[in-house]
Amino acid sequence: MSHEMTAGTESADLSAELSAIERLHVAGLHAAGDAPADAVLSVRDLNVRFNTENGVVHAVRGIDFDLRAGKTLGIVGESGSGKSVTSMAIMGLLPPTAEITGSVRLQGKELLGLSDKAMCQYRGNDIAMVFQDPLSSLTPVYTVGNQIIEALTVHNPTMSKQAKEARAVELLGMVGIPSPKDRIKAFPHEFSGGMRQRVMIAIAIANNPRVLIADEPTTALDVTIQAQVLEVLHAAQEETGAAVVMITHDLGVVAGMADDIMVMYAGKPVETGSVDDIYYNPRMPYTMGLLGAVPRVDAAEKSSLVPIEGIPPNLIHPPTGCSFAPRCPLASDACLHGEPELRPVTGASLNGGLPHRAACLKTGSLGPDVDVREVFRAPAVPVSHFDAIPRAERRTVLELRDVRKHFPLMKGALIKRRIGTVKAVDGLSFDIREGECFSIVGESGCGKTTTLLEIMEFHKDQDGEVVIGGLSNKEASDAKTKSAMRKELQMVFQDPTGALDPRFTVFEVLSEPLENAGMAKPQIRKRIMELMELVGLQPDHVNRFPNQFSGGQRQRIGIARALAVNPKLVVLDEPVSALDVSVQAGVINLLDQLRAELGLSYLMVAHDLSVVRHVSNRVAVMYLGKIVEIGDVDSVFDNPRHPYTRALLSAIPVPDPVLERTRERIILQGDLPSPLEAPTGCNFATRCPVFVALPPAKQEKCLSLEPGLATVAETTGAGHPFPAAPIDQQFACFYPDGELDADMLVVHETN
Amino acid sequence: MIRYLAKRALTYVFMIFLTTTAGYFLAVNTLQPALLEQERIPRPTPEQVANSFRLKGLDPDLSPWERYVGWLTAIVTRWDWGRSPNGAFINAEFGDRVWISTRLFLASIVLTLIIGVALGVYTAARQYRASDRVITSYSYLVYIVPAPIAYFLVQLGAININETVGERIFFVTGISTPGLDGGGWAQFVDMLAHYAVPTFAITIVGWGTYQIAQRQYLLDNVNADFVRTARAKGLTRNQAISRHALRVSFIPVAQSIAFTIPAIFAGGFFAEKIFAWHGVGSWSIDAIALQDVNAATATLAYGSVIFAIGAILADFATTLVDPRVRVQ
Repeated sequence: MSHEMTAGTESADLSAELSAIERLHVAGLHAAGDAPADAVLSVRDLNVRFNTENGVVHAVRGIDFDLRAGKTLGIVGESGSGKSVTSMAIMGLLPPTAEITGSVRLQGKELLGLSDKAMCQYRGNDIAMVFQDPLSSLTPVYTVGNQIIEALTVHNPTMSKQAKEARAVELLGMVGIPSPKDRIKAFPHEFSGGMRQRVMIAIAIANNPRVLIADEPTTALDVTIQAQVLEVLHAAQEETGAAVVMITHDLGVVAGMADDIMVMYAGKPVETGSVDDIYYNPRMPYTMGLLGAVPRVDAAEKSSLVPIEGIPPNLIHPPTGCSFAPRCPLASDACLHGEPELRPVTGASLNGGLPHRAACLKTGSLGPDVDVREVFRAPAVPVSHFDAIPRAERRTVLELRDVRKHFPLMKGALIKRRIGTVKAVDGLSFDIREGECFSIVGESGCGKTTTLLEIMEFHKDQDGEVVIGGLSNKEASDAKTKSAMRKELQMVFQDPTGALDPRFTVFEVLSEPLENAGMAKPQIRKRIMELMELVGLQPDHVNRFPNQFSGGQRQRIGIARALAVNPKLVVLDEPVSALDVSVQAGVINLLDQLRAELGLSYLMVAHDLSVVRHVSNRVAVMYLGKIVEIGDVDSVFDNPRHPYTRALLSAIPVPDPVLERTRERIILQGDLPSPLEAPTGCNFATRCPVFVALPPAKQEKCLSLEPGLATVAETTGAGHPFPAAPIDQQFACFYPDGELDADMLVVHETN
Repeated sequence: MIRYLAKRALTYVFMIFLTTTAGYFLAVNTLQPALLEQERIPRPTPEQVANSFRLKGLDPDLSPWERYVGWLTAIVTRWDWGRSPNGAFINAEFGDRVWISTRLFLASIVLTLIIGVALGVYTAARQYRASDRVITSYSYLVYIVPAPIAYFLVQLGAININETVGERIFFVTGISTPGLDGGGWAQFVDMLAHYAVPTFAITIVGWGTYQIAQRQYLLDNVNADFVRTARAKGLTRNQAISRHALRVSFIPVAQSIAFTIPAIFAGGFFAEKIFAWHGVGSWSIDAIALQDVNAATATLAYGSVIFAIGAILADFATTLVDPRVRVQ
């Protein structure tokens, strides 16, 4: 008995000792010099486990990388792949309940296992971080100056107050905040999202860190602001010479910035290598799928996106085989037995960065020549019978004539007085024909959503006319016309989780609009089965609740609900922005297919111009409540005439490293102006890259006259293959061919 | 900021006027002091009652509107809040009552706030540890125990102490010993002996609300993104919480003060009755029982004023801690 007990304690001791030995072993690996001498950050076998009520979640499962000064590592993966947890583990910011093993060395010093207090010596000093959501990442009750100075005070207790203040002003100037001397006393709520992210970067680089971790730094921002912030990050890196870890789900964002890429899936790196290796020679089906799943803003030719079916595994149960095998079209029996290790790719180039390695048994048979669309069995491009009919001969399903929505701006507590007008939508006219997809794009605050709301409102007191399927809001907007209108037009919402009642089964969600339309019970059942199949869901899942579906499946339910009453027009409000890249591709393909099969028309609002280009036939670019350019999607995207459209398109990062490194981009100054300050002339004059370079006489015209929409002149289409056909493109600018201001143009030197 | 507070104060003055006016009309239409007079022995004739009321400015024959105008004119021109049916002047009684209530509650309210907020911070920092569980459970307990029962328990405890010691240390009722001789020191000890029990009772029952609120709001902010930012700068977890989360979490607590202070003051009739401190709270109940229009309206007006003071204090505290309110 007592013997057994001793044995028990002995083995416990042994296991404790063993883990210590393991630690030493790992650390020993470091000491043996396998990390390059010039590496500022070396991570070896990093593992993170969380104890949850359901069991131990193994969120990060073995990460290794070395990062050298001035270099950028991009960590790419979908939500839940463990990329953020990795960064938080390196920073020592995970809750104490997280179990972290492995080794993180910063300039040779081990960081793992340090106490919170000891870690503080490095955090914000040698290693700093920029977080995802700039709106919530700054303390609302302190001035931004205060918050920058705090970062200086913590690590430089002897620094004088004046010196700290001067440095804070210098930092704010460095990240491009105008008149930093005054703005230092401003509170975070006086800044826009993009400005706040600049402040975050200023805090991060305050002490010239050796390593800067940026966790989805631009995900919450508009494209034009994203371009600005990425420029600031780039400048900050050049200024400090720091090594950067860039965490993102957007393959476009890292293409131009990163030197090396690590693709993560289910907590494990599945492919690592230089940017060129990953983008041009992916050797792991998941990487290939991710690259194929992103629509390209610069590609006119239509091809289906690569959908990756299924969802990432639950990390409570350790995968027995390759974690991607259940979703992989190439998986064979061998893939299900034993998780493949990262192995060097044969014939990989050694360029001093991360060696090209992939965790896949089939690596050898993959390469740049393999067509990813074939591998993932991407569906053929669906063809609608409307495509053959000229646009002018198709029926109009929606028409807007001079629709306006002005909000009065009131001030005063008891007695309100009007101090201005917000022109959210200001004289919008467009039409949508049968079988076409029309998209509205623009930055947040430009009036996209208000336009949709105005269409859905359908009231006779509205300013302007809305005609839906021949029904006008001006003629009769009684309940009967309204319900007839609802049968013509349905809506799909942005957030599939919020748009579905969690207490309704899918059957109830889908039957509600049908009951409303007065359909009989047996027919409803039949129609619901039809709908489930139509959107690619299993019909026997109708009795499940929305929370039993993944995000992509929920959006499919939302689409099925919209299609239930057989509408002619579906309004899509950011239909895929809440979804992961691989899931997004499936939903986009579905939308394409439904449009062709059912002859639907779409009115889509989206901020992702790549998605817009892929899905739409026509597009309108909105700026401060007005359409500044409208027309055929290929004409507008390939030959943008309005300076705003040019800037917007140039702000979109393309998942092509060579192109990203060399292309010229227009970086707009400042944010979308408040609608209150809308100028009398051209709305865009305050930020226009052409306006700045114009001679004063021409500037005067921009400031005093409002440009109307003009059709693209035939002469500009001299090289056009069909010069006789009028080009479907209109824009509102006096000087579309003006020179761009040199200050707003940025070209990165290839290094 | 002064301008902002002055504007708020003006709004509250208007609000006090509205509630008091509404209260007056309600009281004048529902309270019938004449009925109570009928129970006197010898029973007065209706003419006698009407006559006596007319002399006190409570003429039941006038319309409510006329009475309101007369009442308001007296307040505005002479600061005269009228008389009770028994002839007492509201102004005279009011001053005494307010002074008693203030003495009874002021110390408790200050202690309640400080202890409640401090314990909230303490327990939030030690979430789910033994000390947090004990303190938070206690707070929920006093939440559900009716205040009169808690007051009686405290009284019993004080009596027990007195009996164990064999000497009267604490007075469980009353404000002071009538006819006490002796110098200032004896007076002071007597006051403390009367003060201790009610203050203790009201405080230990009151702090639970603030403790729970402060703990909850701080916990909401402990894992906020901006606390993580502060830690990423190089602050330890505790430094980040005390410098960044604490101030943000106090904003909603400061706002809730506005609504609890008037409730304690004007609604403190249980404490006033049980500890026999005859303040405003018990007066308001008595006024309704005695069908006293002017006294009932005066206590209502007093409640509104206290509410406004609480709200202005809350506004002041909020403007101090939250810069987003300052800019307007």
